[in-house]
Amino acid sequence: LPAGLAQWFPALEELDVSGTGLAELGAELLALPRLRTLLAKNNRLGGPGSLPKGLAQAPLGRSLRVLNLSGNRFAEVPPALLGLRGLQSLSLGGNRLHGIPPDIQELRSLEFLYLGGNFITSIPPELANLPSLSYLVLCDNKIQSIPPQLAQLHSLRSLSLHNNLLTYLPREILNLVHLEELSLRGNPLVVRFVRDLTYNPPSLQELAGRTIKTRNVPYAPSDLPENLVRYLSLASNCPNPKCGGVYFDSCVRQIKFVDFCGKYRLPLMHYLCSPECSSPCSSASQSSTSQSESDSEDEASVAARRMQKVLLG
Amino acid sequence: FRYTRNLVDSGNGKFNLMILCWGEGHGSSIHDHTDSHCFMKILQGNLKETLFEWPEKKGNGEMVKKSERVLRENQCAYINDSIGLHRVENISHTESAVSLHLYSPPFDSCNTFDQRTGHKHKVKMTFYSKFGERTLC
Repeated sequence: LPAGLAQWFPALEELDVSGTGLAELGAELLALPRLRTLLAKNNRLGGPGSLPKGLAQAPLGRSLRVLNLSGNRFAEVPPALLGLRGLQSLSLGGNRLHGIPPDIQELRSLEFLYLGGNFITSIPPELANLPSLSYLVLCDNKIQSIPPQLAQLHSLRSLSLHNNLLTYLPREILNLVHLEELSLRGNPLVVRFVRDLTYNPPSLQELAGRTIKTRNVPYAPSDLPENLVRYLSLASNCPNPKCGGVYFDSCVRQIKFVDFCGKYRLPLMHYLCSPECSSPCSSASQSSTSQSESDSEDEASVAARRMQKVLLG
Repeated sequence: FRYTRNLVDSGNGKFNLMILCWGEGHGSSIHDHTDSHCFMKILQGNLKETLFEWPEKKGNGEMVKKSERVLRENQCAYINDSIGLHRVENISHTESAVSLHLYSPPFDSCNTFDQRTGHKHKVKMTFYSKFGERTLC
């Protein structure tokens, strides 16, 4: 970049240096107080010092709203840009990222985040702390699972997950009420109903604890050793709303299918207190398959109708 | 946030001419063409076209890919239901793409197909804009 850039063009608002072969963006940029959009696609950026030091503190750091660094060689999200609290749009598509730093949550104004075409294997739950995020692109990566916290992205309108390594989605995904678009093609999503993926039978301690909780057996701290009192306080409610059961350490990951687009079935991960858990928690010698299938369609049908409009083929 | 369909000319009811704008990573579902001719020309960028066989009547397996190709700027493609089904995608993560489409006779609904199962679902197609004016629906 030419020296004295900021003196020559102090009013510059948009700068496009894409496809110029730049290996670094120099300190010449820092004094541009009005620069809102910086496009630097398809260059040779990615090594240390690709972005100027003190970026976030400079006048440029406060004015910048749109930053496009797609088609470069970044192996990690450059820490220098995590301080850009005014940044609304960030693209790092087509780079060499293997992960997303939890400090991504520092980009408080971010609305648009494009990370497609990298080598990302997992998503940090901190990504869900971006209060304004509306458009999230994670396609063409190596992602195996989505953290359920992502359902906290209340502003999310568009989520692109196609061409990853997802076999299921967390059921919390149905909580994204503002979601208008969701792409899932090209993932090895489990097609057939799969029961009992992993189930470690509960310990005697767990079984006793469950009985005390579900039968409301009264106890006082003086009745039990302190560690067991603490243990009993950790009981989690079975997420099946029709089951009154609780569990401590032992739960079943079960893929339940929610009907989208008519016959299209989307695998969602449910945690249940036991493979027999359906409704209402009891002796249940009933045929669990048909019962739990219709339960899952019941509770999910409202959300499913909403998702039906959302799912992009 | 997904590709937009922008109607340019409705040709006395005999055809629809439209411009499609594809952002980075945007792609269509697998779809048919409701017994119409479909011509496509790339005006900007590149689009990948993947052709699929029609699924078996009782289809309950992964759909069969026939071929795929990347169409470059100014290249044209043609498809109709007897040729098969296709998915069109902008696979670039850095460039957007623009294509010109001619459908004759015009149609406003088609079937989309789930690649994993071959199941189809009829959808109504909408326009982001018509003759330069944004449509709201």
